[in-house]
Amino acid sequence: MSAAAPTSPLERGTKSSRTLAWVLLAVGLVWTLVPLVWMLSSSLKSKADVTSGTPKFLFAPTLDNYRNLFSGANDLTPYLTHSILAGGVSAVLAVALGALAGYGLSRTRMRGRRHLSFWIISTRMAPIAAVVLPLFLIFRQLDLIDSVFGLVLAYLTFDLPFAIWLMSAFFADVPPSLEESALVAGCSRWQAFYRVVLPLTKAGLVTTFVLCLVFAWNDYAFALVFSGPNSQTLPIAASQLVTQTGIDWGQLCAIGTFVVVPMMLAGLAVRRWLVTGLTLGAVTGE
Amino acid sequence: MSGATPTANPPPPAAGITTRRTLLRGLAGAAGAGLAGAAMSGCSSPKDVARASTSDPWRQFAGTTLNFVSENTAPTAAIAANLAPFTELTGIRVNIVTLELSALVQKVALDLASGQSQYQVIYADPYQVLAPYSKGLVDLRELAADSSVPHLTGGFGDFIPTQLEAAGKFGDRDKVFALPYDCPTMIWHYRKDLFDKHHDAMSNDLGFDPTPGADTTWDQYAAIAKWFNDKTDDIPYGTGHQAKQHDSLMCDFSNVLWSYGGDYFDNGKAVGSLGATDPGKCRLDSDQAAEAAAFYDRLLASADPASRTWDWDGVGAAFRAGRIAMCPNWHEFAASNEAAMPGKVGYARLPKGPARSASHYGGTGIGISANTLPNERRAAWLFTVWATAPRTQLANLKSKAGGGTPTRTSVYELPEVRKAEKRPSAMPNMLTADAVNEAWKPANIGLRPKIPMWNECDTAIYTQLSRMLLGDAKPAQAMGDTADRIDRIVARGWVS
Amino acid sequence: MSDTLTDVSEKSASRTGRRQPRLAFEGRLMAPGVILLAALSIVPFLAIIWMNFSQVRLLGGVATSWVGLDNWARFFSDLDMAANWLRTGAFFVLTVGLEMVGGVVLALCLWRVVRGRNLVLSLLLLPMFVAPVVVGLLGRFLTDSTFGLYAWLLRGTGYTGDILGGKYSAFAAVVAMDVWEWTPLIALITLAGLSSVPLSVREAASIDGASGAQSLRHIVLPSISNVLLVALLIRSMDAIRYFDIIWVTTNGGPADATKTVPVRLYETAFRFFDLGYAATIGLVMLAVSIAIARIFVRLLDQKGLTR
Repeated sequence: MSAAAPTSPLERGTKSSRTLAWVLLAVGLVWTLVPLVWMLSSSLKSKADVTSGTPKFLFAPTLDNYRNLFSGANDLTPYLTHSILAGGVSAVLAVALGALAGYGLSRTRMRGRRHLSFWIISTRMAPIAAVVLPLFLIFRQLDLIDSVFGLVLAYLTFDLPFAIWLMSAFFADVPPSLEESALVAGCSRWQAFYRVVLPLTKAGLVTTFVLCLVFAWNDYAFALVFSGPNSQTLPIAASQLVTQTGIDWGQLCAIGTFVVVPMMLAGLAVRRWLVTGLTLGAVTGE
Repeated sequence: MSGATPTANPPPPAAGITTRRTLLRGLAGAAGAGLAGAAMSGCSSPKDVARASTSDPWRQFAGTTLNFVSENTAPTAAIAANLAPFTELTGIRVNIVTLELSALVQKVALDLASGQSQYQVIYADPYQVLAPYSKGLVDLRELAADSSVPHLTGGFGDFIPTQLEAAGKFGDRDKVFALPYDCPTMIWHYRKDLFDKHHDAMSNDLGFDPTPGADTTWDQYAAIAKWFNDKTDDIPYGTGHQAKQHDSLMCDFSNVLWSYGGDYFDNGKAVGSLGATDPGKCRLDSDQAAEAAAFYDRLLASADPASRTWDWDGVGAAFRAGRIAMCPNWHEFAASNEAAMPGKVGYARLPKGPARSASHYGGTGIGISANTLPNERRAAWLFTVWATAPRTQLANLKSKAGGGTPTRTSVYELPEVRKAEKRPSAMPNMLTADAVNEAWKPANIGLRPKIPMWNECDTAIYTQLSRMLLGDAKPAQAMGDTADRIDRIVARGWVS
Repeated sequence: MSDTLTDVSEKSASRTGRRQPRLAFEGRLMAPGVILLAALSIVPFLAIIWMNFSQVRLLGGVATSWVGLDNWARFFSDLDMAANWLRTGAFFVLTVGLEMVGGVVLALCLWRVVRGRNLVLSLLLLPMFVAPVVVGLLGRFLTDSTFGLYAWLLRGTGYTGDILGGKYSAFAAVVAMDVWEWTPLIALITLAGLSSVPLSVREAASIDGASGAQSLRHIVLPSISNVLLVALLIRSMDAIRYFDIIWVTTNGGPADATKTVPVRLYETAFRFFDLGYAATIGLVMLAVSIAIARIFVRLLDQKGLTR
């Protein structure tokens, strides 16, 4: 402990404790990354290399698996379009409605706001298999089965409560004095919200959007029930590769990589602000 | 079920029905109003497809789009890869949605429940779709008798009779709800190269001719498996099985059960072929069933331990990867076997037990949703006829994308198909012809119970079997527990 | 914090001379989202309540017939239900427990290193963004006994069994997949908590000569306990209804070893189409989830952390 920099002894720690930290981190990294690296490398292997009895660590990479994703009978393009549309639109709607409701929730002093807030998040706990049949009947009545808009609504069932909670956490971080001065300056409450508060929570809006997008993009259970030939999404395409003539693991790894990479990039882009949202505001930023 | 014919179908729900309105539907409507208001387009009733006046009955629905939902099986892979002939013939576009079996069943049931037909053509698994939802399917005899649409090529009589009954009918001999579309049947897949190579050594050690034949018994099968485990390093294990806690485990075990003289219910053959709503008491508590279970338990103890994680796809992949010398599996895997190890695989009927040889039949038909509107239904009929036509089945056989095997007698009689039964074969699935022809004989075929509550019984069976294989239950006890559960499930009855 | 907020809106209301009820503006903002959420959740909820007293038939449009408490009688006499719940409990405790321990350890390690922290953190976070269905399929691929990487590595260490074929190993495998996916979330949240521990507190600890372990236990962990609670709340909401990965990998087997309540629910609803009974199981699950969430929220309330 003695040799450490005086400003933050714990952060640096002793030499041995730092070594220990690095060892544990290395273990954590291996545990985390091996499956992902293996998926990526398998997606670049030929069929023979993927199904080799002894894992192939050195191989001649090929893009065949990716090429196959976009050619022939199982062209992935429509799946991709549906995923982008359904995920994107539902995330935009969730953020828009979530920002309004979240701001309202963070500023209101109505009685029972705790109950309201708990009810909102509890809707996210509903067991999917139990709510699917009633939702299916409603959607059928509205002709929303096998439509991208139906998926958007289905995704809102889990994205909207999440967005409201997240956004209310972000708004709670904005000092109310700002609105106060805006009101003094003659703004209406709406203007104070729209012109002053909202721009300050850009990070929150982007983070909420990304998390909602990730949830919607990754959904399998709802898409399985509500989608059809005109609205199937990427996770459905992945599951369809499990066929009678054997699972084409190379192809599956390609599609997995394809599904996963955009979300990782989006997630990492907002990593800095994820914390505020995910701790529901209990911790304010890094 | 005789009273309400499938054609006397309730009109589409939005059209303002007078039939019993339920709270659920009321709620759905209320929510609909709340959600979207009257502006929502969905509240209009579905439109039937247009019918053009044309001299060619095949082209009267040109411009229509049909949706076909199917399990991801070999024939559908072949048809999906080559839909052009149908589109050229009819001008109808077909979307094919292929799903894993349990996902398929879920989608079909929900679609039937909705009162509309997102999917006009349905892959009707006899046990998981046909038996529980036969009332949701059109009686195809009515369409076959409709003079305004092309008649069924070759007629109903061209289908292999046991298959038409098992895959097409439920409860009523006079109605056909599905046309036999594929006919996977469990046979013995073995590494002919290894059997040939070790023939003499095995004969010496085992005291019998190991070549799979008409008289080979399950005990001998087990002995051969052990021989491969112990006596050669050519291959890691002798036998592998589809013993995951999954439908496949029931399929694999049933072969043994029947060959030992056991069955799920009294009158097993009738319950298996035409089906029943009330099959009576479960007979898995019999001595034969207990013996079969005990043998199966022993057999699996010497099988590749990964068997417990494999369904049919898994054991097929393991066989192709050279992990096991033999396995019972669906005969439609022959094409993939031939692609992976050309010329090395042989096929035979499954071994005999004390009572008989039994080969599990897992064929399925395609049917038409009873929620379809009249013209839509006729358009769907065109596809159903085309997809099961001899010419299409022949094309499937040649397909590079899987293929399946024909369900029509006339296709098997074609000279080029007969020729393909021997190597070199342009239609590798036909290499199994001798084995499946034996298997399909009434004395040898194995039909699981076709009862509407089968899914739940099936789950009880494979769950208890899985417990037995992992040592949680003794064989007789596992069979007894299964019988108890099935009796309870059957007693609860079925309302569709 | 909420006190200051109160003051502001009261002051502002009086200064701008509004006569409207105070709720109006916030209420109007909340309305669209809350109404849509209500439409999407209350109707299905009422339908489930109705269904759990009914037998549901599907063909020709859904219809129900009243069966009273039959489904509940069945629920309490169900041979397998208790085992399903026990398994769910074990799964819950193991996944959430391991994720908490792993997440806190990783966060502590990250906190100690300064150089490369952001890069390492980014890499560690990646599993969070992987679709569960891909996690399940990838898990099957890695443990496949013919060409799976992990199966091959385990064979190298002398393990001859089959990972998804044994009762305990299959259970461990599905737990591991969940832990793989969600430990990073806990690490992220905990690290944020650690970073907000005031420097003065930590310095005070070191000046007192407290050893690393002691200061960790008595100073650092208590000061982030609220953050840990939030992490627990977030994870436990999903851990109870988790089923995608199990469904894709083991189907509930072998020997029912991975058949948790959500798997059972899915099977009852969409394999057996026994929707009345499924509604009953679903209601119990919902009640349990809400009860657990309530406990955590109440703990947070006591610490004055919810706003």
